[in-house]
Amino acid sequence: MATKEEEPKQIPINPKKQQRESDPVEVEICGTSGNAIVFSPRFKSVAAMAGWDEESLLVASLVVDDTPERDFKHKKRSVLDSKTPPTNSSGRKRRAPRRSPISIPVAVLDLDDAEEIAKDESGKEKKVELEIVSNKDKETREDKMAESSGGSCPPSTNLPCLDKLREELSCAICLDICFEPSTTPCGHSFCKKCLRSAADKCGKRCPKCRQLISNSRSCTVNTVLWNTIQLLFPQEVEARKAVGASNGRETDRQSPGKAVYNARNAQSRRASGASSTSSSGEMTMRRRRVILSQDEGDEAEHRNQEQTADRSIRFLRASRREMNVRMSSRRIPSQDEDAALALRLQREEFIEAFRGTPDQSSSSLISSARANLRAMASRATNHRLTRHML
Amino acid sequence: MTTPSAPSLASSSRWASTTSVSSSGKRIHREMVELNIDPPPDCCAGPKGDNLYHWIATVFGPPGTPYHGGIYFLDITFPSDYPFKPPKVVFTTRIYHCNVDSNGNLSLEMLKDSWSPALTITKLLLAIRSIFTRPDPYNPLVPSIARLYLEDKAKYDELASEWTLRFAK
Repeated sequence: MATKEEEPKQIPINPKKQQRESDPVEVEICGTSGNAIVFSPRFKSVAAMAGWDEESLLVASLVVDDTPERDFKHKKRSVLDSKTPPTNSSGRKRRAPRRSPISIPVAVLDLDDAEEIAKDESGKEKKVELEIVSNKDKETREDKMAESSGGSCPPSTNLPCLDKLREELSCAICLDICFEPSTTPCGHSFCKKCLRSAADKCGKRCPKCRQLISNSRSCTVNTVLWNTIQLLFPQEVEARKAVGASNGRETDRQSPGKAVYNARNAQSRRASGASSTSSSGEMTMRRRRVILSQDEGDEAEHRNQEQTADRSIRFLRASRREMNVRMSSRRIPSQDEDAALALRLQREEFIEAFRGTPDQSSSSLISSARANLRAMASRATNHRLTRHML
Repeated sequence: MTTPSAPSLASSSRWASTTSVSSSGKRIHREMVELNIDPPPDCCAGPKGDNLYHWIATVFGPPGTPYHGGIYFLDITFPSDYPFKPPKVVFTTRIYHCNVDSNGNLSLEMLKDSWSPALTITKLLLAIRSIFTRPDPYNPLVPSIARLYLEDKAKYDELASEWTLRFAK
């Protein structure tokens, strides 16, 4: 592993991992400069396309802290080093799991209370000392898991308690893996969307324990939990994102540029986790608006480029019959068609799934439909990429 | 989710409506799978036919109650905004019970004000099973039965087991 070799020189300048342990406000302020290093290449390119300058990248980096795509940090570090005042005890936490990526105490894992991750945050500070020595500490386990899955191996294959984790980390409302989990003051976590609709439709009480929940807090994403989920269940998260992207297309069909942006936005979210600070959220909103208007202006050019993007991607989907038929009959698929196709596929998927006949053909159809959706989302993104490169 | 207002694509609104209920459909499907894997004791439930939003459930009368030996059928109808709104549950088997009226309607707090989106059909069936063992005479749907239950439990049991024999076997 390349990261391992570079480890020694990493340690002294490692960004303040420990700051997450101190109080949350401080974390957000000083975490900025250091964390910019951990951008994934994908996120960086997307951010560059969106016209983000260095400073806003730094702000955005607040939320990238634990994302798995770390490979790029070395390159970025040299640039940012001067701006990053070295802080105390930085490398500690990261170092411990890095050193022994194999000896992860998988058997001890017992995350009976996944929700507690959030609650524990305040208490983390004093535990730092213990963390290196003691494996029983829950957070260490959490972190080690995160680190281990950040490596090359997918976590789903080697965690024996994955079923239990899946149960723990699923949202009681949609019964799916929590997507952008949001934690109530009483400590229960749900998908942000689910919690919001529950508050809208059933009153502002926790669906699990009926305690009153206040508006402001119910809308923030529990970053630690969300990153953990992304690391543990990448496939499920991807699937949900693909669905979300196609849903976005459906609602935004009026302005096709928006749909592309949505897909791209999903991509950047993937890299950045979810934004938790209001400031970066605001910034994103502003930027989104700018991009939107730009998108609508460039509509004509847009279509031209689309063709190029399609051609470059077509071979990826050689096996997907339906797409190919459509593509060969029409060289330049429009956004409307894409949206329509996405909807149709989604619908078919549901029909097949709900019919409950587990025969071979239906399951393969579902998986191909899923693959199609995913391909469409990525095509939208790639199309963006090519457009900006030219 | 907003429904598209594009006049040019008439057929697309149909799709949109299908996808907008899909979150409830997804959840119901998930519950169905989970019920199949791990059903609650003495209960079972599943879609009536092709319609995922219309289920039939059966609950066996628990031993130690006058309903023992009876098999009770229930109709469950899911609203389109399930799980944010409770499902409608109706007894299709007649039962002598102070919380179930002659039309099979059920007075259960869980199905009204204290519904929560975190509740599932499994939990609902368990709650229904628990009113077999412990009827709630203070929130009755049939006051006469509730009065009998409070005043003369033996008579109540006798009548209930008679009804069980007559309707639920």
